[in-house]
Amino acid sequence: MPADGCWAYCVTHADAGLPPGIEGVDPAGALERVVAGDLAVWVSAVPLAEFGEGPLRANLNDLTWLERVARRHEAVLEHALAETTIVPLRLCTIFADRDGAGRMLREQHDTLADVLERLAGRQEWAVKLLLDLDQLAAAAASEGGEPATTAAPGSGTAYLTRRRSERRAGETAERLATQLADDVHARLREWADDAVVNRPQNRRLSGHEGEMALNGAYLIGAARAAELPALVAELGERHRDLGARLELRGPLPPFNFVSRP
Amino acid sequence: MSDTALAQRDIALVDLVDRLIGGGVVIAGDITLSVADIDLVYVNLRALITSVGTLEESRRR
Repeated sequence: MPADGCWAYCVTHADAGLPPGIEGVDPAGALERVVAGDLAVWVSAVPLAEFGEGPLRANLNDLTWLERVARRHEAVLEHALAETTIVPLRLCTIFADRDGAGRMLREQHDTLADVLERLAGRQEWAVKLLLDLDQLAAAAASEGGEPATTAAPGSGTAYLTRRRSERRAGETAERLATQLADDVHARLREWADDAVVNRPQNRRLSGHEGEMALNGAYLIGAARAAELPALVAELGERHRDLGARLELRGPLPPFNFVSRP
Repeated sequence: MSDTALAQRDIALVDLVDRLIGGGVVIAGDITLSVADIDLVYVNLRALITSVGTLEESRRR
Protein backbone atom coordinates (compact mmCIF):
# COMPACT_ATOMS: atom_id res chain seq x y z
CA MET A 1 0.00 0.00 0.00
CA PRO A 2 1.45 3.38 -0.94
CA ALA A 3 1.48 5.89 1.89
CA ASP A 4 0.77 8.95 -0.21
CA GLY A 5 -1.81 10.19 -2.68
CA CYS A 6 -1.38 12.97 -5.21
CA TRP A 7 -3.43 16.12 -4.50
CA ALA A 8 -4.12 18.21 -7.63
CA TYR A 9 -4.57 21.99 -7.61
CA CYS A 10 -4.93 23.29 -11.13
CA VAL A 11 -4.14 22.72 -14.79
CA THR A 12 -1.94 25.10 -16.75
CA HIS A 13 -0.09 25.18 -20.07
CA ALA A 14 3.08 23.12 -19.84
CA ASP A 15 5.31 26.13 -20.53
CA ALA A 16 4.28 27.86 -17.27
CA GLY A 17 6.88 27.11 -14.62
CA LEU A 18 6.45 26.56 -10.92
CA PRO A 19 7.55 29.41 -8.66
CA PRO A 20 9.73 28.20 -5.76
CA GLY A 21 8.77 28.16 -2.11
CA ILE A 22 5.03 27.50 -2.29
CA GLU A 23 3.65 25.26 0.41
CA GLY A 24 1.20 22.51 -0.47
CA VAL A 25 -1.86 21.25 1.36
CA ASP A 26 0.36 18.96 3.42
CA PRO A 27 3.52 20.69 4.71
CA ALA A 28 5.65 17.62 3.96
CA GLY A 29 4.59 17.39 0.32
CA ALA A 30 6.41 19.88 -1.93
CA LEU A 31 4.58 21.36 -4.86
CA GLU A 32 5.49 19.84 -8.22
CA ARG A 33 4.18 19.63 -11.77
CA VAL A 34 3.09 16.62 -13.79
CA VAL A 35 3.43 17.37 -17.49
CA ALA A 36 1.65 15.55 -20.32
CA GLY A 37 2.01 17.02 -23.80
CA ASP A 38 1.23 20.73 -23.73
CA LEU A 39 -0.55 20.65 -20.37
CA ALA A 40 0.61 20.46 -16.77
CA VAL A 41 -1.15 19.84 -13.49
CA TRP A 42 0.18 21.20 -10.19
CA VAL A 43 0.25 18.55 -7.49
CA SER A 44 1.70 17.68 -4.10
CA ALA A 45 1.89 14.48 -2.09
CA VAL A 46 -0.63 14.01 0.73
CA PRO A 47 -0.60 11.19 3.31
CA LEU A 48 -3.41 8.71 2.74
CA ALA A 49 -3.73 8.30 6.50
CA GLU A 50 -5.26 11.77 6.40
CA PHE A 51 -6.53 12.07 2.82
CA GLY A 52 -7.60 8.52 1.96
CA GLU A 53 -11.31 7.94 1.41
CA GLY A 54 -12.22 7.02 4.99
CA PRO A 55 -10.17 9.66 6.84
CA LEU A 56 -11.13 12.29 4.24
CA ARG A 57 -14.82 11.73 4.83
CA ALA A 58 -14.31 12.25 8.56
CA ASN A 59 -11.92 15.19 8.16
CA LEU A 60 -14.25 17.07 5.84
CA ASN A 61 -16.69 17.28 8.71
CA ASP A 62 -14.06 18.92 10.88
CA LEU A 63 -14.35 22.62 10.12
CA THR A 64 -10.89 23.45 11.46
CA TRP A 65 -9.31 20.81 9.22
CA LEU A 66 -11.42 21.87 6.26
CA GLU A 67 -10.55 25.52 6.68
CA ARG A 68 -6.81 24.84 6.86
CA VAL A 69 -6.87 22.64 3.75
CA ALA A 70 -9.20 24.97 1.82
CA ARG A 71 -7.06 28.01 2.55
CA ARG A 72 -3.87 26.22 1.47
CA HIS A 73 -5.52 25.01 -1.73
CA GLU A 74 -6.73 28.54 -2.43
CA ALA A 75 -3.28 29.99 -1.65
CA VAL A 76 -1.61 27.70 -4.20
CA LEU A 77 -4.21 28.68 -6.79
CA GLU A 78 -3.56 32.34 -6.15
CA HIS A 79 0.17 31.82 -6.63
CA ALA A 80 -0.55 29.97 -9.86
CA LEU A 81 -2.94 32.65 -11.01
CA ALA A 82 -0.24 35.27 -10.55
CA GLU A 83 1.96 33.29 -12.97
CA THR A 84 -0.35 32.06 -15.69
CA THR A 85 -3.84 31.08 -16.85
CA ILE A 86 -5.24 28.24 -14.74
CA VAL A 87 -8.11 25.79 -14.66
CA PRO A 88 -8.69 25.50 -10.91
CA LEU A 89 -9.60 22.04 -9.66
CA ARG A 90 -12.18 21.35 -7.03
CA LEU A 91 -11.05 20.75 -3.46
CA CYS A 92 -10.18 17.07 -2.87
CA THR A 93 -9.25 16.12 -6.44
CA ILE A 94 -6.85 13.35 -5.45
CA PHE A 95 -5.07 10.74 -7.57
CA ALA A 96 -3.44 7.51 -6.53
CA ASP A 97 -0.13 8.75 -7.93
CA ARG A 98 1.45 11.11 -10.44
CA ASP A 99 0.64 8.70 -13.26
CA GLY A 100 -3.04 9.06 -12.43
CA ALA A 101 -2.77 12.83 -12.66
CA GLY A 102 -0.95 12.55 -16.00
CA ARG A 103 -3.59 10.16 -17.32
CA MET A 104 -6.30 12.70 -16.41
CA LEU A 105 -4.43 15.36 -18.43
CA ARG A 106 -4.36 13.11 -21.48
CA GLU A 107 -7.97 11.94 -21.16
CA GLN A 108 -9.38 15.45 -20.60
CA HIS A 109 -6.90 17.18 -22.88
CA ASP A 110 -9.31 18.78 -25.35
CA THR A 111 -11.73 20.05 -22.70
CA LEU A 112 -8.91 21.47 -20.58
CA ALA A 113 -7.18 23.08 -23.55
CA ASP A 114 -10.48 24.70 -24.61
CA VAL A 115 -11.10 26.12 -21.14
CA LEU A 116 -7.53 27.42 -20.92
CA GLU A 117 -7.94 29.13 -24.26
CA ARG A 118 -11.22 30.75 -23.21
CA LEU A 119 -9.75 31.95 -19.91
CA ALA A 120 -6.50 33.29 -21.36
CA GLY A 121 -6.21 37.03 -20.76
CA ARG A 122 -9.36 37.09 -18.65
CA GLN A 123 -9.97 37.40 -14.91
CA GLU A 124 -12.73 36.36 -12.56
CA TRP A 125 -13.98 39.06 -10.22
CA ALA A 126 -16.64 38.70 -7.55
CA VAL A 127 -19.16 41.44 -6.82
CA LYS A 128 -21.53 41.32 -3.89
CA LEU A 129 -24.36 43.73 -3.33
CA LEU A 130 -25.13 44.27 0.35
CA LEU A 131 -28.15 46.20 1.50
CA ASP A 132 -28.90 47.98 4.73
CA LEU A 133 -32.44 46.75 5.36
CA ASP A 134 -33.43 49.61 7.66
CA GLN A 135 -32.38 52.19 5.13
CA LEU A 136 -34.12 50.27 2.37
CA ALA A 137 -37.31 50.01 4.42
CA ALA A 138 -37.19 53.74 5.12
CA ALA A 139 -36.80 54.45 1.41
CA ALA A 140 -39.66 52.08 0.67
CA ALA A 141 -41.89 53.80 3.23
CA SER A 142 -41.26 57.22 1.75
CA GLU A 143 -41.75 55.92 -1.77
CA GLY A 144 -45.06 54.36 -0.73
CA GLY A 145 -46.25 57.84 0.22
CA GLU A 146 -47.43 56.81 3.72
CA PRO A 147 -51.02 58.08 3.68
CA ALA A 148 -51.76 59.99 6.86
CA THR A 149 -54.47 58.28 8.83
CA THR A 150 -57.37 60.21 10.27
CA ALA A 151 -58.30 57.41 12.64
CA ALA A 152 -57.72 58.01 16.32
CA PRO A 153 -54.37 56.62 17.52
CA GLY A 154 -54.80 53.37 19.36
CA SER A 155 -58.06 52.55 17.61
CA GLY A 156 -58.55 49.32 15.69
CA THR A 157 -58.64 51.23 12.41
CA ALA A 158 -55.30 52.89 13.15
CA TYR A 159 -53.78 49.50 13.95
CA LEU A 160 -55.03 47.97 10.73
CA THR A 161 -53.86 50.93 8.72
CA ARG A 162 -50.43 50.72 10.26
CA ARG A 163 -50.20 46.99 9.63
CA ARG A 164 -51.25 47.50 6.03
CA SER A 165 -48.67 50.17 5.38
CA GLU A 166 -45.95 48.11 7.06
CA ARG A 167 -46.77 45.22 4.80
CA ARG A 168 -46.76 47.50 1.79
CA ALA A 169 -43.40 48.96 2.79
CA GLY A 170 -41.99 45.44 3.18
CA GLU A 171 -43.14 44.53 -0.31
CA THR A 172 -41.75 47.76 -1.71
CA ALA A 173 -38.41 47.11 0.02
CA GLU A 174 -38.23 43.65 -1.52
CA ARG A 175 -39.03 45.06 -4.93
CA LEU A 176 -36.38 47.75 -4.51
CA ALA A 177 -33.80 45.13 -3.50
CA THR A 178 -34.54 43.04 -6.60
CA GLN A 179 -34.43 46.09 -8.85
CA LEU A 180 -31.14 47.15 -7.38
CA ALA A 181 -29.59 43.69 -7.82
CA ASP A 182 -30.90 43.51 -11.40
CA ASP A 183 -29.54 46.95 -12.20
CA VAL A 184 -26.07 46.26 -10.81
CA HIS A 185 -25.87 42.85 -12.45
CA ALA A 186 -27.10 44.13 -15.83
CA ARG A 187 -24.50 46.89 -15.85
CA LEU A 188 -21.66 44.50 -14.95
CA ARG A 189 -22.81 41.76 -17.31
CA GLU A 190 -22.92 44.17 -20.20
CA TRP A 191 -19.34 45.02 -19.40
CA ALA A 192 -18.04 41.50 -18.78
CA ASP A 193 -17.32 38.66 -21.21
CA ASP A 194 -19.34 36.25 -19.08
CA ALA A 195 -21.32 36.39 -15.86
CA VAL A 196 -22.71 34.00 -13.27
CA VAL A 197 -25.14 34.74 -10.46
CA ASN A 198 -24.64 32.57 -7.40
CA ARG A 199 -27.06 32.15 -4.57
CA PRO A 200 -26.67 34.94 -2.02
CA GLN A 201 -25.00 33.91 1.19
CA ASN A 202 -26.71 33.99 4.50
CA ARG A 203 -25.34 36.68 6.75
CA ARG A 204 -24.83 34.22 9.56
CA LEU A 205 -22.56 32.11 7.37
CA SER A 206 -20.37 34.75 5.88
CA GLY A 207 -20.40 37.36 8.62
CA HIS A 208 -21.04 40.22 6.20
CA GLU A 209 -23.01 43.28 7.21
CA GLY A 210 -26.47 43.74 5.75
CA GLU A 211 -28.52 41.59 3.42
CA MET A 212 -26.82 40.10 0.36
CA ALA A 213 -28.95 40.87 -2.68
CA LEU A 214 -26.45 39.86 -5.37
CA ASN A 215 -23.60 37.36 -5.36
CA GLY A 216 -22.20 37.66 -8.85
CA ALA A 217 -19.05 36.49 -10.63
CA TYR A 218 -17.79 38.21 -13.76
CA LEU A 219 -15.22 37.21 -16.32
CA ILE A 220 -13.41 40.27 -17.50
CA GLY A 221 -10.67 40.98 -20.02
CA ALA A 222 -7.46 41.58 -18.05
CA ALA A 223 -6.92 44.86 -19.89
CA ARG A 224 -10.26 46.22 -18.63
CA ALA A 225 -9.93 44.98 -15.05
CA ALA A 226 -8.26 48.23 -13.98
CA GLU A 227 -11.51 50.08 -14.75
CA LEU A 228 -13.59 47.76 -12.59
CA PRO A 229 -13.08 49.43 -9.20
CA ALA A 230 -14.29 52.75 -10.63
CA LEU A 231 -17.37 51.14 -12.19
CA VAL A 232 -18.26 49.33 -8.98
CA ALA A 233 -17.73 52.51 -6.95
CA GLU A 234 -20.01 54.40 -9.35
CA LEU A 235 -22.74 51.76 -9.02
CA GLY A 236 -22.44 51.85 -5.23
CA GLU A 237 -22.63 55.62 -5.22
CA ARG A 238 -25.72 55.61 -7.44
CA HIS A 239 -27.65 53.52 -4.91
CA ARG A 240 -26.09 54.78 -1.72
CA ASP A 241 -29.32 56.43 -0.54
CA LEU A 242 -30.92 52.97 -0.53
CA GLY A 243 -28.26 51.63 1.80
CA ALA A 244 -26.42 49.73 -0.93
CA ARG A 245 -22.82 48.69 -0.56
CA LEU A 246 -20.81 46.86 -3.21
CA GLU A 247 -17.96 44.52 -2.42
CA LEU A 248 -15.43 43.76 -5.12
CA ARG A 249 -12.85 41.00 -4.97
CA GLY A 250 -10.40 39.64 -7.47
CA PRO A 251 -8.78 38.49 -9.56
CA LEU A 252 -9.86 35.09 -8.29
CA PRO A 253 -9.19 31.53 -9.44
CA PRO A 254 -11.92 31.26 -12.11
CA PHE A 255 -14.08 28.60 -10.47
CA ASN A 256 -17.25 30.08 -11.89
CA PHE A 257 -16.13 29.85 -15.50
CA VAL A 258 -14.63 26.43 -15.95
CA SER A 259 -17.54 24.02 -16.04
CA ARG A 260 -19.36 25.15 -19.13
CA PRO A 261 -18.41 24.05 -22.65
CA MET B 1 -10.98 52.42 -3.04
CA SER B 2 -9.72 51.01 0.21
CA ASP B 3 -13.12 49.56 1.15
CA THR B 4 -13.31 47.51 -2.02
CA ALA B 5 -9.62 46.62 -2.14
CA LEU B 6 -8.57 42.99 -2.22
CA ALA B 7 -8.85 41.32 1.12
CA GLN B 8 -8.16 37.74 0.18
CA ARG B 9 -7.28 36.75 3.74
CA ASP B 10 -10.71 37.77 4.92
CA ILE B 11 -12.62 35.33 2.75
CA ALA B 12 -15.26 33.71 4.92
CA LEU B 13 -15.14 29.93 5.13
CA VAL B 14 -18.52 29.62 3.47
CA ASP B 15 -17.29 31.68 0.53
CA LEU B 16 -14.26 29.45 0.22
CA VAL B 17 -16.34 26.28 0.40
CA ASP B 18 -18.87 27.62 -2.10
CA ARG B 19 -16.09 28.34 -4.54
CA LEU B 20 -13.72 25.43 -3.93
CA ILE B 21 -16.36 22.71 -3.67
CA GLY B 22 -19.53 24.26 -5.07
CA GLY B 23 -17.60 25.73 -8.02
CA GLY B 24 -17.55 24.16 -11.40
CA VAL B 25 -14.68 21.81 -12.16
CA VAL B 26 -15.76 18.24 -12.59
CA ILE B 27 -12.60 16.26 -12.92
CA ALA B 28 -12.76 13.20 -10.77
CA GLY B 29 -9.62 12.08 -9.04
CA ASP B 30 -9.00 8.38 -9.34
CA ILE B 31 -9.07 7.74 -5.62
CA THR B 32 -10.99 8.90 -2.59
CA LEU B 33 -14.41 10.46 -2.96
CA SER B 34 -16.43 10.31 -6.14
CA VAL B 35 -17.94 13.46 -7.61
CA ALA B 36 -21.37 12.53 -6.23
CA ASP B 37 -19.82 11.97 -2.81
CA ILE B 38 -18.21 15.39 -2.87
CA ASP B 39 -21.53 16.98 -3.81
CA LEU B 40 -23.08 15.31 -0.80
CA VAL B 41 -20.22 16.47 1.41
CA TYR B 42 -20.82 19.99 0.13
CA VAL B 43 -24.49 19.90 1.12
CA ASN B 44 -23.55 18.59 4.55
CA LEU B 45 -20.84 21.19 4.95
CA ARG B 46 -23.16 24.05 4.20
CA ALA B 47 -25.57 22.73 6.79
CA LEU B 48 -22.72 22.30 9.26
CA ILE B 49 -21.38 25.80 8.70
CA THR B 50 -24.91 27.18 9.09
CA SER B 51 -25.42 25.46 12.40
CA VAL B 52 -22.03 26.59 13.71
CA GLY B 53 -22.79 30.14 12.56
CA THR B 54 -26.13 30.07 14.36
CA LEU B 55 -24.47 28.80 17.49
CA GLU B 56 -21.86 31.56 17.45
CA GLU B 57 -24.52 34.17 16.86
CA SER B 58 -26.59 33.02 19.80
CA ARG B 59 -23.47 33.00 21.98
CA ARG B 60 -22.79 36.60 21.10
CA ARG B 61 -26.23 37.67 22.23
